[in-house]
Amino acid sequence: MNKCSYEGWIDEYLLNRLDDSRRKEFEEHYFNCPACFDMLVERDEIIGALKGAPSAFASEARRAAPNRKTTGPGRVFAWLSPRQWALAGTAALLLAVVLAVIPRFRGPAPQFVMTGEETVRGGSLALIFPVADLGAAPAEFRWKSLGENVEYLVSIYEEGLIWKASSKEPRIVLPEDVRARMTAGRAFSWQVKAFSAEGTLIAVSGRARFAITG
Amino acid sequence: MTGLAKGGACPYNTGVSETRAEIDLDELVLKYRPVVSFRVRKALGGATPDWEDVANEVITQVIEKVKKGEFRGESSIGTFIYTITSRRIVDFIREKTKILRHAPEPTGYPDPHESVESREKAAQIADIVKNLKPKFREVLDLYYYQDLPREDVARELGIPPRRVSERVNYALKLIKKNLKKRSDDSTFSGPGRLKG
Repeated sequence: MNKCSYEGWIDEYLLNRLDDSRRKEFEEHYFNCPACFDMLVERDEIIGALKGAPSAFASEARRAAPNRKTTGPGRVFAWLSPRQWALAGTAALLLAVVLAVIPRFRGPAPQFVMTGEETVRGGSLALIFPVADLGAAPAEFRWKSLGENVEYLVSIYEEGLIWKASSKEPRIVLPEDVRARMTAGRAFSWQVKAFSAEGTLIAVSGRARFAITG
Repeated sequence: MTGLAKGGACPYNTGVSETRAEIDLDELVLKYRPVVSFRVRKALGGATPDWEDVANEVITQVIEKVKKGEFRGESSIGTFIYTITSRRIVDFIREKTKILRHAPEPTGYPDPHESVESREKAAQIADIVKNLKPKFREVLDLYYYQDLPREDVARELGIPPRRVSERVNYALKLIKKNLKKRSDDSTFSGPGRLKG
């Protein structure tokens, strides 16, 4: 069996040297080529070990030839003189002190635990209606307001997402065509995400479930 | 490095598209979980604690889509899974960016979350490299550790770029050969028996 011509791309990919289109091409390729994928994993292991083991090269004199064009870790160390390193170290220490002090003057940030797109959790957005089984499809959905200048993104799921819309009010009216799909015997869940005027996610509700009992 | 047209000369990739009826889901998961995991970990970085969840979600999505008949055999199943994986990664980064205001950066080497087993293997590789001839150690140092382009390594060592590739490849072969030998030795020595 001849060797795969993409083999030459493995190092370039692992060392992040492929441009975007080649990277995508190679990624698609290794999803289709078990031989390249095996080699990729093997090479990744070796490169990882080499990158993480400077002691393996301890005996290599780090020659500082004046015309040496270095990149990566070598470039950084060759870039500054010892005195400049000392100054940079002092500046970094000052910056660290400043960054450690600033958070004490800020209010508490919302806490999220993110485990995936549809399982984001936040404790500050409470859903009001519907949160239990209903006799008929709800006409509107309501949740607790987080004040002004907040935009809410409401998502309703059955097996997957069935409807998504945004609202500036802490309620949203369900379109008739979506209501019509909420027939007896079916179960749904919904979730609201709140965004600031700048578009930053500031709160996420839990996912409330309800069924239409008929 | 050689440039290739899409679907270039790869004797392993036949370009044959599987049909829905031919797909064995267990086999599919077994075959593609490592590939999806590798791609997700590379994109998000091993330090992003959610990468395993994302990889699992991709696998779940693939199974659901195949069951629903969304894979129609227009592309290979590998390309179908690659597309789902890439979309999920983009969604994850977009979602994460909204919260963190910056995308998770893929971690460089070494991965801080690597297993004990891979850490042991990494130590073995480092040990093997220490015992290589200086000319091989030097080329690995410049090409991988210092991350110099091949042409710069060639200039540094005063050899043609082609020779750099040859030396790197030979050094990799020596590492693999030594790893295999160590693995065989430990297998044959067995527990409770003295080696050597």
